[in-house]
Amino acid sequence: MKSRRTVAIAGIAALAMVGALAACSDAGGSDDGKLELRVATFPPGAEQAAYDAFAEQEKQFEKANPDIDIVGVEYEWTAPTFAAQLAGGSLPDVFTVPFTDTKTLLENGQLMDVTDDIDELGYADKFNPIILDEVTGSDGNVYGFPRQAYANGLHYNRDLFEQAGLDPDQPPTTWDEVRAAAKTIAEKTGKAGYATMASGNTGGWQLSVQADSRGASLQTDNGDGTYTSTIDNDATKATLQYLHDLRWEDDSMGATFDLDWGSINQEFAAGNIGMYTSGSDVYTALVRDFGMPSDQYGLTVIPVEDSGGVLGGGDIAVMPPTLDDETKAAAVKWIDWYYMQKLLNEDAAVADAKALSASDQPVGTPVLPVLDKETYLESQKWIEPYVNVPLDQMTGFTDGIFDQTPVGEFKGQTQPIYALMDNLVQAVLTDENADIDALLAQVDVDAQALLDQ
Amino acid sequence: MTMTPTTTDAPPPASAPAPPHAASARPKRSRRRTPMTWLRGGGLWNLAFLAPMLIVFGVFSWWPIARAFVMSFQETNLVSPPTWVWFDNFARVLSDPNLGTAVLNTAYFAALALVFGFPLPIIMAVLMSEVRRGKGLYSALAYLPVVVPPVVAVLLWKVFYNASPDGVFNTVLGWVGIPPQPWLQSSATAMPSLVIEATWAAAGGSIIIYLAALIAVPPELYDAAEVDGAGIWRKIWHVTLPQLRGILFIMLILQIIGTAQVFLEPYLFTGGGPNNATLTVLLLIYRYAFQNSLGGDYGEATALSLMLAIFLGILSWLYFKLTDRWSTN
Amino acid sequence: MTTAPSAGPATTPVSTSLRAKLAGVTRRRAERDAAEDAADRSILSGHDRRRRGVRASMSGVHVFLFVGLVIAGLGPLLWLAKAAVTPTQDTLSQPFALWPNGIDWANLEQAWNDVHIDQYFLNTLYVAAGSWFFQLLVATTAGYALSVLRPRYAPILNGLVLATLFIPAVVLLVPLYLTILHVPVIDVSLLNSYWAVWLPAAANAFNILLVKRFFDSLPREVFEAARTDGAGPFRVFWSIVLPMSKPILGVVSVFAVIAAWKDFLWPLLVLPDPAVQPLSVRLPAVQSQTELDVFLAALAISTIIPVVLFLIFQRLFLRGAGLGGAVKG
Repeated sequence: MKSRRTVAIAGIAALAMVGALAACSDAGGSDDGKLELRVATFPPGAEQAAYDAFAEQEKQFEKANPDIDIVGVEYEWTAPTFAAQLAGGSLPDVFTVPFTDTKTLLENGQLMDVTDDIDELGYADKFNPIILDEVTGSDGNVYGFPRQAYANGLHYNRDLFEQAGLDPDQPPTTWDEVRAAAKTIAEKTGKAGYATMASGNTGGWQLSVQADSRGASLQTDNGDGTYTSTIDNDATKATLQYLHDLRWEDDSMGATFDLDWGSINQEFAAGNIGMYTSGSDVYTALVRDFGMPSDQYGLTVIPVEDSGGVLGGGDIAVMPPTLDDETKAAAVKWIDWYYMQKLLNEDAAVADAKALSASDQPVGTPVLPVLDKETYLESQKWIEPYVNVPLDQMTGFTDGIFDQTPVGEFKGQTQPIYALMDNLVQAVLTDENADIDALLAQVDVDAQALLDQ
Repeated sequence: MTMTPTTTDAPPPASAPAPPHAASARPKRSRRRTPMTWLRGGGLWNLAFLAPMLIVFGVFSWWPIARAFVMSFQETNLVSPPTWVWFDNFARVLSDPNLGTAVLNTAYFAALALVFGFPLPIIMAVLMSEVRRGKGLYSALAYLPVVVPPVVAVLLWKVFYNASPDGVFNTVLGWVGIPPQPWLQSSATAMPSLVIEATWAAAGGSIIIYLAALIAVPPELYDAAEVDGAGIWRKIWHVTLPQLRGILFIMLILQIIGTAQVFLEPYLFTGGGPNNATLTVLLLIYRYAFQNSLGGDYGEATALSLMLAIFLGILSWLYFKLTDRWSTN
Repeated sequence: MTTAPSAGPATTPVSTSLRAKLAGVTRRRAERDAAEDAADRSILSGHDRRRRGVRASMSGVHVFLFVGLVIAGLGPLLWLAKAAVTPTQDTLSQPFALWPNGIDWANLEQAWNDVHIDQYFLNTLYVAAGSWFFQLLVATTAGYALSVLRPRYAPILNGLVLATLFIPAVVLLVPLYLTILHVPVIDVSLLNSYWAVWLPAAANAFNILLVKRFFDSLPREVFEAARTDGAGPFRVFWSIVLPMSKPILGVVSVFAVIAAWKDFLWPLLVLPDPAVQPLSVRLPAVQSQTELDVFLAALAISTIIPVVLFLIFQRLFLRGAGLGGAVKG
């Protein structure tokens, strides 16, 4: 009996093995002479509709470029997998990286030089110069296509506002009003009135957003390739104290303090969070990937005090430097077609908006202009008939954002210092007696040590 | 299929890996060695049978081990060629304020795991060995958590640890009038929460091992103790525990070695937070090597790995000394 | 998982000799079971059991064991089964209410189709099947060469293999990862290929030790007889040694499959492409993008398979636990 069972197990395993080997040998390149171009698509867990829309666009592109075979690759910028894929050379041929990592990558020679290609395409001078600077190396060459930019905004749940007796059309405009609203929501609904990200480097990111809005400057660029950390300043301290008070005095931040970009979106979409700060473009992910009902969504600008600014960011479409000329040409075509033309060209913008709205994907989510403001405003007009996001629930942001001073993320060791700052946020949210002064002083020292390496 | 070598054709039990000279028992050959005699003597066959091992061990074991020693003295980021930095990596690791945190946290985890996780399986096993009926059912129930894939177990417990008053555990606490606990959401309770889950996940395996050891206690010893008039507690104290001494020690050292390398729980539960309260040594190694999106510090990571390895090596050595004594007794 | 890095201490020599010891223990038990089944006893004597206080206590022990083990062993799984078909809001607000708003069977379907549990389950199967195959291949060929063929240099190789047992898995983490990125000699990257999991898993010294020991115990006369009948080394291996070795192959197989099923850190590092990831890596990755009820359904599906296997092969698992369960610290 026993040995027969062994044989049966062995047989099943052997069958599975054959299947595995067969699957392995299938993984060769395309066989019809087309050039296979592996391009980044969506983060894991995106809905089928997003892939349907992508398939439609893929078809259009392949029709126009019959010699290119587009292969969509699931892709998300997360620190550990990005590092592994970068080191292992398994990144797609076209992928996106956030501004924060662009400088280091291009200085390390890990991005393809696309100066000539941008010149040839003829829109080099159309870029918003502040944004083009993000992808320009110290050699003056350009290493990627800025494809979207955002400013951080204050996202709020209109439903929870109403349940708490607040007016969802009059969102708070100062941090004190935010605190009062958060307290009301927490008391009336039992949900978290306010939440902030705290782990996976996003805690540091959002801490700088909120500190910058209070006039902080977290780092000084000495102009000679060195940086000085200035994290330990009054605005950062005020931000941490503010979070501490919301958590411990008002108890208006719920019970979960290890949120990151994904989980805070999930909680917000599920109606468990009243307000939080994040990129203005997160609406797309909220309704597409996290299933948020769009009528509950509200967006306004982040309160700005003491001549603070609004932190922005964005990402660029890039290629690894190892592509051969043929693949590079195809990759540039794809970037131009998929990312850039819809910003520049009415037909492309309309076609894109049409394709997206046909599969119920958000069209018109507020962003910051990658190109000059005129082109941006014009492009908004082109797609007006297809806009399906509730713009009237975002007027707080769209009316106010161009009056705010845009600030970029600090450049030196951005992500590692964000990681250090995560601990600050976690400390004030999980330890009532956290010594903010001592913690800030320590992080400042640690950050400087990173910068001096 | 036999899981353990209980049949007569089983290999002889041994207390330590076979010494390398075990093969010297082979018949002596006194032929002169030439390529021809080598071939005729089956030299090619030997190589053919050794090839899978040589390739797999050469590439995926011996080579990386050698590389670990080299790398710990080098600085490399995979982009530019490695440079020799000698003891810089070690110095940087030792001066990293996180190292102290990680070592203390790991020791804390190990200590808590001992307090929660070490006596419990022994007690359970002793009780289970005494019951006459239902032993099979109890063993199966106790072992069930071990069968759950560890990742699934952690993700499930993360839901249990929901810190809102409506969380699973907080609801249970509410039934007995205990206020909601923050579980993973506080520096103070995060580590104990990790240990509780780890204990739940591992206890079943230990119980089964102790059960096997308890059955192996010679019944004559109990008979003899009874002749001397020993009661139940004295039998446990003077017969059972001394008989289990060896296995208890093995399990203790094994547990320390295991907990010194704890990774899954802090990585999936808390990512090392809040405020590094659950940052462990292995998680720190992982962070050095893989967390930075712009290429890891592989030199620092291997340097710390080697230091941890030396610590584990000392434990192993200690273990061998003590078990040698135990098996000669 | 043994040679590929994992948080478990499986490659330490400690676990090796522990297993050998336990093998001895279980053997003793088997002998006793056979010889003196009737006289089986434990701490309590027949006399003890007739005492009233003891009898009452034993009833208490039964109740304690039954209730405790059902709650701790079965409870979390039952809760998971319930939550898998409960809408998110009910699970969050009343975690212990039984379907206050009806059962949501669609969760299971969504988990299977939208979270693509089917695909990741298949990937897990590939990982396990390949690891199993290569571990057996390497262990049997190497064991045969080192134990039966015994070339002159066998002791050296044997020593080199055993030496890797003393290197904790954590040392290999980074250098092995870099080796996967650039395999020496053939200069390819194995990232995102199952070979990156299979081959390091096959570099498992413990398997070779186990198999070699077993082969050592096989009667030499049989091989000699076959050789004089003109059987070559391969025939002896295939037709004589392997068929005689089913028990040990079974043990190695179970260890291999269980380890592959549970491994997390190593596949996380070498399989960054979601399309090839096994369940253990995939589940944490999709957690934040998946609604809680569907995610719990995905966890339930991932648990049900090993649990069912356990219930079917219960005896086999529990006996093996004496050997394998010890590995999990």
